[in-house]
Parts: sequence; C-alpha cells; structure tokens
Amino acid sequence: MPTTLIEQFGNPAIAIATGVGGVMTVLSLNALFLIWLERKVSAWIQRRMGPMEVGFHGVFQTIADMLKLLGKQLITPKGIDKPLYHLAPIVVFAPVVAATSLLPFSKSVAISNIDIGLVLIFVFGGFAVVGIFMAGWGSNNKYALLGAMRSVAQNISYEIPLILSALAVVLMVSAVGREVPIDGEIVALNGLNLAHITMAQVHWTWFILVQPVAALIYFISVLAETNRAPFDIPEAESELVAGFHTEYSGMRFALFFFAEFSNMFIGAMVATVLFLGGWEGPILPGPVWFFLKTYALIFIMMWVRWTYPRLRFDQLMTFCWAILIPLSILNLLVTALVIKVVQS
Amino acid sequence: MTHLAPQLLAADIGLAAYITVMMLISMAVAFAVANIVLSLIIGPRRTGQVKAMTYESGMEPVGTARKRFNVRFYIIAMTFLLFDVEVIFLYPWAVTYANIDPSSAYQPVFLGRVLFFMLTTVVAYLYGYRKGVFRFD
Repeated sequence: MPTTLIEQFGNPAIAIATGVGGVMTVLSLNALFLIWLERKVSAWIQRRMGPMEVGFHGVFQTIADMLKLLGKQLITPKGIDKPLYHLAPIVVFAPVVAATSLLPFSKSVAISNIDIGLVLIFVFGGFAVVGIFMAGWGSNNKYALLGAMRSVAQNISYEIPLILSALAVVLMVSAVGREVPIDGEIVALNGLNLAHITMAQVHWTWFILVQPVAALIYFISVLAETNRAPFDIPEAESELVAGFHTEYSGMRFALFFFAEFSNMFIGAMVATVLFLGGWEGPILPGPVWFFLKTYALIFIMMWVRWTYPRLRFDQLMTFCWAILIPLSILNLLVTALVIKVVQS
Repeated sequence: MTHLAPQLLAADIGLAAYITVMMLISMAVAFAVANIVLSLIIGPRRTGQVKAMTYESGMEPVGTARKRFNVRFYIIAMTFLLFDVEVIFLYPWAVTYANIDPSSAYQPVFLGRVLFFMLTTVVAYLYGYRKGVFRFD
C-alpha cells in the first residue's frame, strides 16, 4: 500500500510542499528530456544526427531553446477575445500538472492516493479540450478555429474507447482482487484506485496478457488524445500552419508545448499502471521500473509518429466510431461474461 | 451472502488527499503566470499595424474568423454526450460487478439490467450509424 507523503512526513505543510515541488521538477525535467528525445529519435529514423552543438550530443539544446523563448516577444494579435486568449494556455497547462500527482510511482511512493484516481485522471484529461477550444476561438484566426474544431471532434470521439478499455481493466481488478493479502491483511481491491490496479497485477499477472485488445485500443486512443501523429490533424502543419496555437508566441507557445509533452508522459504512465504492472519488476527498485516502462511506451509513440503518415479527417473519425467503439464495448461485455463464467 | 458493496481499503477518504491536488493546480497556474510575466518583462515590446495582424500565411486577412460555418460533427457530439453519461454509470458497475456472489438471486437481475442499459446506447449508436452520422463524404 503506497503511503502518501502526508503519512510519511507527518506534517502536512512539508508534505504538500515536497509533493508540489517534486511534481513540478519531474514534469519540467521530463519536458526538457522528451523534446530532446523527440528530436533525436526523429533524426535517427531519418538518418540524421539531430541536435549536436549544445552539450554532449545536444542534451542542453532544449534548455537553450527555453531561454530563447523566454526572451521572445509575446505578440498579441488584434481582434482576439481577450479573456479566452489569455486564459487558454493556463487552462491547458494546469490540469496536466494536477494529474501527475495521482500516479503511484512505487509501492512506497505516491503523492496522493485517491480512491477514484482513475476517474480524476480522465477528468483532468478532459480539460484539455476546453483549453484548446478557448485558444482556437479566442485567436480570431481561421487556421486556429479549424484546428480547434478538429481537436474537439477528435478528442471527444477517442475519449469513449479510452474510458471503455480502461473499464475492462477495472472489471478485472475487482474480479481478481476480491481477497488479496497485502502487508499481512486480506483486503478487497478497488478498481478505480491506481495503486490497487497495480497491486492486482502484482498479485496475479500483467493485464496486457489477459486484455490485449483493451491495451491496443487504449494505446491508440492515447495517441489520438495527445494529438500525436498519425492522429495529429488538429495541428497538421502542412495544411493548418500550427492549428489551434497559430497565434501564440514565446512563453505562451512554450506552455502549450509543455502541456503536450506532459500529456504524453501521463498517457504513458497511466498505460503502465493499467496494463504493464506499474512498479512491478525484479531487482531494480519500483520507481526505476515504473519510469523504464513509461519511457519505453513514449519511445513507441515517437516511433509511430515518425513512421506512419497522417490520417485524413474522415478516416480518423470513421476508425473511431466504426471500429474502436464497437470493439471496446464488445471487449467490455465479453470480459464481464467471462468473469461470471469463471466465477461460477 | 451477497456482497453488494466492495470493501474498500482505508485509503484517503478525507479531503486531505485532495489538498495536494488543489495546491498543484494553484502552483501550476502561478508557474504559468510567472513565466508569461517574466517573458513580458524580458522580451521586446514592439507594436505596429502589421505585427498585430492576424496570421494568414502572409496575406491580408480576409474578413473575420468568427463566421458561422457548418460543424459536421454536431450529431457526433450529441452521441458523445450519450456515451459519456453511460460511462459515468458504468464506473460504479465495473467496481461492484465482480463482488456479487455468482450463486445469489441478484446476479442475473443485475447483469440483465446493465445489459439493457448498454443496449439502449447501442440502439442509439445504430440509429446514428444508419443515418450516416459517422460517414464523412
């Protein structure tokens, strides 16, 4: 059972300060690292070298870029809807940070252990749509508006298979976790608590082995939810310039970018918890395994991006509504029936 | 014996766990605002007719972006609402489902109700499908 920081420190003020500082540090370092990794991976796939100048193999390139962005002018175009335009980067950015605090990094480390953690993660994920549409509508730019419209259509469509495939895992957790011995006592696991989901897999087996269809649907939906290629039509640069953030420059643009890479990180971390056994692994300590699995998933996401061409809008929507959603409903029903057959 | 409610582990039932999340949200807002303010202070502040112009690939912007245009996914958004409400009711079902004793009389009733509930959504989905909501051509 992960003890939360408040239990470990005793003093809530120190615990909260540690948690807040820790999350912000992890997210900042992660964003810096992922931007560098994305450039390196794309370079390797295209037989280039990528950034090489700043530091060893360009590891400090992103820091240099960030400093450059800080010194750029924040251009505010005319005709914008002021409250929407200025609030949008914050609305996109803040929920991402909050969602990170919900994940159990190891058996003994969790910033907050909430019984409905899975629901809260999806709630925070849903906020991105609002922020993106605020940016698109507030910019008074046709590219931005089109990008935002596409983004809303895509995000709400792919949210359904995302949640339905996660629900199959919730079913499995309550089915295999009716009596699990943890620290000497027998407890029933709660399928919506992310730490319990991991413990069900420690107790039994990784859910990717028993729920491969759900895992695949979940991974595809995460690609679409984070607007990654081949589902990146909201910011398709060859047709929409930059999509919803066309009119944002300097630090405001950096916030959108920060949120995008952190979203990838969260999507991969939740997939790790749901299907890859979270912190479980031999020899190495829990957090190491957790982040190894997370970054392996992120690498696959990058690999997919630089391998497949972008889907057309109609292909994207048809794929979701005609294939993924019926398949995930079917998967949920089959899981429910199999559980009952095995139980009786 | 029927187990209708799952026995939950004594995790953070109080609001203490949410304080961290709320703090993080306010911290994130502060971080974002601080970055923008810092950038406003450091960065140059040049203005002008052309600099403030809406970007339209270097051309003079034609009209405004706040025009009415056909949102093709209007009914898709409605269908999404339907599915979203369904999912909210499926969360508690997924948590309690496996805890119901398979030999109890509750079992088939409970399963039947959920199947009927999901069937209503499937009917709506099929209606939308036959109407061509999910076809873009």
